[in-house]
Amino acid sequence: MKGDSMEDQAGKNPQIIGFACSFCTFKASEMAGSLRMKYPEGVRLIQVPCSSRVDPAFVIKSIFEGADAAFVAGCHPGDCHFIKGNYFTRRKIAALKEMFDAFSMKEKLRLFWVSAAEARRFVEKVTAMYDEIKDAKDAGKTN
Amino acid sequence: MQARQIKEGALVRGLTRFLSNDRHLILGFEKGDDGVRHRIFHTSLDRHTLLNPFFDVNGALYLRRLFSKGARVMLLLRPCEIRAYHELVKLSQIEPEGIVAVSVDCPGTVSSKERIGGVPLDAKGLVDYFKDPDRMRPACRTCGEKRGVVGDAGIRIDKDGALWAFSYTEKGDALLELLEGDAEEGAPDMLLGKSPKPEKFQTDMEQFSSDFSKCVLCKNCRDMCPVCYCIDCLFNGDEYLPKGDALLNKVLRTGSGTMPGGKEMFHFIRMFHVSQVCVGCGACEEACPQGIPLTKYFKGISERLQGMFSYMSGRDPGETIPYLTFLEDELKDAED
Repeated sequence: MKGDSMEDQAGKNPQIIGFACSFCTFKASEMAGSLRMKYPEGVRLIQVPCSSRVDPAFVIKSIFEGADAAFVAGCHPGDCHFIKGNYFTRRKIAALKEMFDAFSMKEKLRLFWVSAAEARRFVEKVTAMYDEIKDAKDAGKTN
Repeated sequence: MQARQIKEGALVRGLTRFLSNDRHLILGFEKGDDGVRHRIFHTSLDRHTLLNPFFDVNGALYLRRLFSKGARVMLLLRPCEIRAYHELVKLSQIEPEGIVAVSVDCPGTVSSKERIGGVPLDAKGLVDYFKDPDRMRPACRTCGEKRGVVGDAGIRIDKDGALWAFSYTEKGDALLELLEGDAEEGAPDMLLGKSPKPEKFQTDMEQFSSDFSKCVLCKNCRDMCPVCYCIDCLFNGDEYLPKGDALLNKVLRTGSGTMPGGKEMFHFIRMFHVSQVCVGCGACEEACPQGIPLTKYFKGISERLQGMFSYMSGRDPGETIPYLTFLEDELKDAED
């Protein structure tokens, strides 16, 4: 976000930081690997014990220290390993998204629910997000 | 809810009687030679005043980590200060057992930085003085609750300038018992009405960056915020705001950057952390040596985020802070 000017950034592939719950989304990403499915290499996953472990400060830090976008992913509501962790995530990240919206940078943050069996859904979600961020970045280069 | 009109001098007599017990204290305002300040009154009510048109510090800050039992403290503060006190009670940073929180109608305040003469000290004079809203601090101009309707009891001012005491809880009856006279039915119209609903806050990163470019990261805004609640702040270590060796390592790893680095991140993270508990008192802006319009951002964001959960910080001590609770059936469109 800061430091590099627009020209330096243009042409570079976007970097996306993902916070993945170790019981669902991270398992799905491992399964995607064992099924030889590919997802963009700009997506970096950080394993967290539960999606509610993600303090929104982590997300903000990743955005302000150079990531183009970030996502938080956990189990579907109701399926949390810790019973109710992702209900808290939903409130916190929904509020954080509202805050990003107030600063006109809504596209930088997403929230996904991906269960351990949904390797394909995980790959589709992160690829779609990566492509959109990349398109937006390339559009910024031509302006 | 009980109401009682306060007769001339009855308040001073009642509070003096309250202070006659050695274990009783009052946190209120003291009229000095050069303005009005907070004071904890013990044994005597010398130079006490109800209204304080100069805002310097949010009084709830002094109550943080107050857990002692046995002493009785009566707070005679502005509504924003009582609301911050409620939030701290919810965060278990104040033990409310011995505290009687009384909110006093507040017509608005001027910044204590600009020592303007000619600010009246009585309610009706203040309302006239603040007919021109530009005289008020930005936080008070957009205040969400100027009426003394929060806390255990409230002291309100009617259109003729007479004082009225209201009790909202059992603890608040203690204030009414101190006052002479009987309970009355139906109080008249009050001087201060409901505040208008705020507009939805919207800005962008360019505006944010230019407003905060002057920040020197002194962190006064954090230290003076009554509800910045973390006991050990994220920004105390080297992880978020590196110094010394950690800073050099970071520069070697990621490239050069202007100093002080991370100021936007600091304010952004703090803005989220206090978003549900921010009472919009503007103490951060008051503490800022660089004159950054912090209230605009912190108040705007907090009102927007509290609106998502139909919450208003400090309105009711029985409510739970939205991030600490949930409903199973809500926010269906949160997922992307």
